[in-house]
Amino acid sequence: MKLRTPALVFLILVAAVVIQTTLFGTFRLITPDVVLLVSILLALTRIKPELVLAITFAAGLMVDLIGSSLLGLRAIVFMSAAYIALRTRERADIGRIATGLWAGGVTLIGVVLLLLLGTLFGQSTILGEHVFSRLFTVPLANMLLALLIAPVLVRIVDQDPAALRY
Amino acid sequence: MLTRDRQSRPDRAFPTFITLVVLGILLMTFHVRLEGGGVVDVLRTGTQAVISPLQRGVAYVVTPIVEAAEGLGDIAGIREENRALKAALEESQAQLIAVQDQLARLDLFEALYGLDELEGDLGRTVANVIGRPDPLDAGLIIDRGTSHGIAVGQPVIDTNGFVVGSVSSVTSVSATIVPITGSREALAVLVGSQIGRLTSQVGSPEMVLEIPDAKEPVLAGARVLTSAQSVLFPAGFPVGEVLEDAALVTSAVTTTVLPYVDIDTLRIVVVLAWPSDPVSASGQDEIQAEGTTTTLGETTTTGEGTTTTGGGG
Repeated sequence: MKLRTPALVFLILVAAVVIQTTLFGTFRLITPDVVLLVSILLALTRIKPELVLAITFAAGLMVDLIGSSLLGLRAIVFMSAAYIALRTRERADIGRIATGLWAGGVTLIGVVLLLLLGTLFGQSTILGEHVFSRLFTVPLANMLLALLIAPVLVRIVDQDPAALRY
Repeated sequence: MLTRDRQSRPDRAFPTFITLVVLGILLMTFHVRLEGGGVVDVLRTGTQAVISPLQRGVAYVVTPIVEAAEGLGDIAGIREENRALKAALEESQAQLIAVQDQLARLDLFEALYGLDELEGDLGRTVANVIGRPDPLDAGLIIDRGTSHGIAVGQPVIDTNGFVVGSVSSVTSVSATIVPITGSREALAVLVGSQIGRLTSQVGSPEMVLEIPDAKEPVLAGARVLTSAQSVLFPAGFPVGEVLEDAALVTSAVTTTVLPYVDIDTLRIVVVLAWPSDPVSASGQDEIQAEGTTTTLGETTTTGEGTTTTGGGG
């Protein structure tokens, strides 16, 4: 891993957190989970799998600290989503649409896991009024967003202009 | 299949995964045990203090663009809404004149009987909603914090005076609000002359109203206000409206209430400096919350509801 990569990943995650909490926090219909999506897409890069897990755990922890829910909840969820993504990433290499579908599918698993853990730990802020609609709109929005940003993000992180050219 | 040439190394992903899951569970347990305070509170405040200037900067740029885009997308609806609002304004102006008349009479009677207000006007801090922590988190982030006099637990209303929620965490320049529809704490409310308990429901904007010692049925359209028994809100703030008629069933009434506030459309909120003496209020060992008795360090059950000492939420 080149020296610039950790700084790039850190900047991307901070940008994702800020965009998530501001820009996408004001939209009512389009509700992607950008930090979760970045966590999933990091699995497509050449970063070591164990480092990807540690980075996504830290990203989840950052979202936990910004929000009002239980500390460690999103850390586990984002890291688990990244683990599933690492184990299934070959399916995303086929083409852009496959990448989008794969990212949407892993997001769905992440959202379901978040709701399950949130329910187990009594996190009523997660089980708010839009919980059932968000179960579908978040993976759908992440799928569409992945179509757009997945190749660019992988190229930036890997500093490889040829990455994910299908 | 065009798989990428990722370096083949010994796979240590699974042991790392297990280690981090254990660490995450430990963190959650730690948070629950600390009830959101202590180190967790320091970490949360520190992170929010770092992120909130960035959020404010981005929100400053993004919010007008989003509002303009939403306005353009709904231009036909805006014309229709404008017509309806003009009609509502005329009606409100007529009501205002009637209320002003009643207020003048009230002032006169207060002067006659020498009545004074027990509590002065509440301190109010107007804040902008700058975002949300997560698409699945009901919380709202506002651009005012401890440097503006905001403290954890303070009640939050909208610009019309309708109840929104309460402050759950605060930094020097930002705060997070948990709305009543996303809170697990019940809210003591007044419906007519009866005192009830309002609780949120999973996946629904509607709330459940329970009046354990009801004396009369509750009718649809009845106004629900915060009760003087509430330790979360000052009395008399409108919360919502009863949706369905509810008959007495063994001296209890249960129905649904739709809050007046639509959390998704909130852009500006008002934080109330209440209670007026938060130091003595927070110093109480036992807090008689609505439907719950939370005693620091132990768990008890009351007849009205369950009791938790767990953190989060």
